[in-house]
Amino acid sequence: MKRLPPLVIVAVGLVVGLLALFALGLAVAGQQGRRPESGTPAPAFTLVLYDEHRAGLPKTLTLADLRGKPVVLNFWASWCIPCRDEAPEFEAASRRYKDQVVFVGANWLEIEAAALPYLKQQGITYANGFDTQQQVARAYRITGVPETFFIDRNGILRQIETRPLTGADLDAAIQGLLK
Amino acid sequence: MSGRPGRAARFILGALVLFLGVLLAARPTQAQDGSLEEQTREIAKHLNCPTCAGRNLADCPTDTCAQWKGEISTQLKAGRSAAQVTEYFIARFGPGVLQEPPREGGFLLAWIFPIVVFVGLIAAAFYVVRNSSRRGAPTAPAAATAADPYAVELERQVREEA
Repeated sequence: MKRLPPLVIVAVGLVVGLLALFALGLAVAGQQGRRPESGTPAPAFTLVLYDEHRAGLPKTLTLADLRGKPVVLNFWASWCIPCRDEAPEFEAASRRYKDQVVFVGANWLEIEAAALPYLKQQGITYANGFDTQQQVARAYRITGVPETFFIDRNGILRQIETRPLTGADLDAAIQGLLK
Repeated sequence: MSGRPGRAARFILGALVLFLGVLLAARPTQAQDGSLEEQTREIAKHLNCPTCAGRNLADCPTDTCAQWKGEISTQLKAGRSAAQVTEYFIARFGPGVLQEPPREGGFLLAWIFPIVVFVGLIAAAFYVVRNSSRRGAPTAPAAATAADPYAVELERQVREEA
């Protein structure tokens, strides 16, 4: 049998090695990057709350701090029109369920100079903060804004919404959490 | 060992030095002079737009990018250096904000791996060229045939017939 030239062997080796690394990368990303599903434990998160929007919660808020209460986690940005549309509904719902549910807003990729005036303009009073290095957005695998995650009092993710929500949507989802 | 591996090693080392030279020459420079706008643009050129994949911040006209550029200008006006401003964005939004991976920690792999592949290919090419030139070199027929009784006999018979 004719021996292959060394260059071909080396080139094939490099290509195979690169493909193996690529496949490994995809496998690792697939494991880490799977969007959490309803009925599974909600990914742990740490959010640094804006000083003006702590709503009595710790400056560095973790999901563990909220164990025992249902949580509505909403990702938003000031430039996002659907976020703007749903913001009053969230504020109203946070007041309706004031002592039963914790509302948490996570700003997506913005600086305070944009986020804080927006929160003031919308009259938002519930807890809001920024997502340092996008850790929360990555953990929840968000693909844009708005996205909302409903977490029950045991830390189990019960519902995921990737669309703007109305007051009725929020009521229905929260009633599910309070059962 | 013969002198050839030494030449090969020098050749590979030379290629590596050349590659690293090109790499270092391509390092982004931070503007320290120029107007605030120029300095802002220079920093923004090395950051990614947060909402448009693959586009640099300087060239992106979206609202979010305008906010980020405004933040760069604000921080420069406050006396922060270009490096400090860049560090702020990395700390806030992660190393993914950089157009190029940082040359430190695990990110070094992204810089070193192509060099390893490049050097490997150069070494393979050198090896092949060296071997093919050896194969193509004239051999000493007398020495080769003397060791082979069949060849010696064959040559004798051919000479007789001639």
